Amino acid sequence: MSNITLIPAGFTLVKFDADQVRELIGQTMAEVGFPADVAVTIEVDEVLPHPLTASLVDIVDGEAKLWFTGGCFESPKRQTGLSVDHTRVELGSAFLRAKDRLSEGFVNAPRDEELDDRQRTIWDAYAEGRLVALGYPVRVQRRRYTFRLYGGFNDVADAAFARLWSGDALSWNDLSAMADELVAADTRPPRKKSLRKETLRSAPAA
Amino acid sequence: MRKQLPPEMLARDSRFVRTSIMDQVMDPRNAKMGERDLGSARLQPERPAAADRARNLMHGIFTGEIQALEGAGRTTFDFDDEQAPFALKLDMARQCWDESRHVEISVKLGDWMGTEIGEYSEATFLYEAACAPDPILRLCGVNRALEGLAIDVFNTMKEFGDLSGDPVLEFCEDWMLADEVTHVKMGSDWLRRLTADDPERRERALDFQRTVDKLFSLGGFRGESEDNPIQLARAFRSMAGFSTDEIDELAEIAAQAQLDAQAMVAGSS
Amino acid sequence: MSDPFKPRAAFAPWDRRELPGLFTVEESARRVGNYKWLEMRLFESLGGWVATVPELDVKLVLGRHCYHHAWHAELMDKRLPELREMNTDRLCEPANPEMAAFVEALREPEAPEHTIEKLVGIFRVLLPRKIAAYTYHMNATSRITDSPTQRSLGFMLQDEFEDWREGEMLLQSLIETPDDVERAARRQSELEQLILAAGGIAGPGTLGSETVTEGASV
Repeated sequence: MSNITLIPAGFTLVKFDADQVRELIGQTMAEVGFPADVAVTIEVDEVLPHPLTASLVDIVDGEAKLWFTGGCFESPKRQTGLSVDHTRVELGSAFLRAKDRLSEGFVNAPRDEELDDRQRTIWDAYAEGRLVALGYPVRVQRRRYTFRLYGGFNDVADAAFARLWSGDALSWNDLSAMADELVAADTRPPRKKSLRKETLRSAPAA
Repeated sequence: MRKQLPPEMLARDSRFVRTSIMDQVMDPRNAKMGERDLGSARLQPERPAAADRARNLMHGIFTGEIQALEGAGRTTFDFDDEQAPFALKLDMARQCWDESRHVEISVKLGDWMGTEIGEYSEATFLYEAACAPDPILRLCGVNRALEGLAIDVFNTMKEFGDLSGDPVLEFCEDWMLADEVTHVKMGSDWLRRLTADDPERRERALDFQRTVDKLFSLGGFRGESEDNPIQLARAFRSMAGFSTDEIDELAEIAAQAQLDAQAMVAGSS
Repeated sequence: MSDPFKPRAAFAPWDRRELPGLFTVEESARRVGNYKWLEMRLFESLGGWVATVPELDVKLVLGRHCYHHAWHAELMDKRLPELREMNTDRLCEPANPEMAAFVEALREPEAPEHTIEKLVGIFRVLLPRKIAAYTYHMNATSRITDSPTQRSLGFMLQDEFEDWREGEMLLQSLIETPDDVERAARRQSELEQLILAAGGIAGPGTLGSETVTEGASV
């Protein structure tokens, strides 16, 4: 069993049962085949509610570092309550991406915070497509809409999504090439780029 | 069937879960959120969690449309022919059809965006504005305040659809926006007609509208700054019969609601 | 080239409308007043029920049909002054107290568990009665002198048929058990008794018989 650290050890602002979350973490890791000998730290920012959903996955010195907003695990139906289905899908997707990062094909992948929205949505679709095959309660249309939002509302993007959804053994180079393909097909005016990429993982205001 | 159906009696199937405004106000995360610099709250595709924010808003629109349908329906029933003129009831029946169509559109848009019916909790404060015992207060609360908010929300969603290149979202929101402008205009017309000889009643109705507008601006939900998820749609409001003074007043109400929210956060942290 | 000045009959050979009709102006107006009253009570009931039915599809259909009946009421309201009834409220009344009692009973269910009762009242009792009465009016009144009423009734009947079909389909999808069948039948029977006592939506003679005005035929 991996060395798993959950931060915080207990939740105070939301009604998540930390033991249940730990159990879901262990179960998900096993189901997606995440290597048991890799240490894992999972940080949940319980301040940020649904729909402020965001997650980051990186491998630092051989250790998997996963960060989630509390909104990722929260039930949109029951404020501050845990949604087991959402938690499983978010964890499953993150562990698959962490597993990707540990593999040869993703050694050249940028850190999560350096991925642009298009690259990130491609990787997320690839991960969730694999979760479907594992029987996770993934909603294809939910992911497809997010994919279109960042990848484009066009046939090229839809075809790319279909390839990802049934994809297996893809590498970062494959995903990166797909991002270039989507850029080329995207007829939307380029969005303004802010100097600093906005993220929900921010330090408290001064 | 009784006259005046209270909000707790709104009938829903088992998918729906209700939340109260107190649940939202008393959420312990609010104070901590206020301490964070989370960037602009404006709904835009490049903001973090844009898809989930849009889905959440879409479901809010969906439940809001159900309540608007129910509110208009109750106005056709709750008042006798003396309290509410025949033509007003006809307008409310027409609004029933429009809102029914908006629910249908919202369901389809929810499917398109990947949400499910009842996925998010439902607050009933929109319907609560439709429970006033005086029909003209109801018209002000529903047609001018609630439907006015709908103009702001649909315009925000239309812009989101436009910016993200989502042809379906932009198309649908534009159609719904056209209906909402009609509904607000309906409210403005009836306010003038029914209170032409009763300035006191008109003032009471406008006071009620201000209260509802303040409620809908709660916590800075709506306004004209980057901190407001929903932007005040001045041009469409003007088209719907709001005077510039009225829109300015609403902008002040919204700004004050935001200051109140910030003060509440500062006081509780 | 045809001669545009050649005399032609006022009625084309295929236009078989005749002057005779069973209704006087007053009788047509009385019925139109009854229809307006009933359409008003109906759209109010549907509007009121929207909030009380949990089934989403039913809720949306009631919202849509609410407007159909409001429009019917508006059509009848506009027709009344054309039938020499300048005070459109005067004839806007139930055909008789029994009809008022029927409508009172029709709109009585409120609880969210009573969707079947609500829909049976509308779609298995009232709408068939309306379709019958409007059809009778269309067929009985003069197709020439009262054609504005006929035209409005034609539009209304189009809605009634489509709404009836939609409502009946909703009911069939809601009736799932033998108990539901009993409920629906019981409700239908209760309301049929009441509308029978009223003699139909325009009172006795809704579908002809004794209230036909003597000598109205030309």
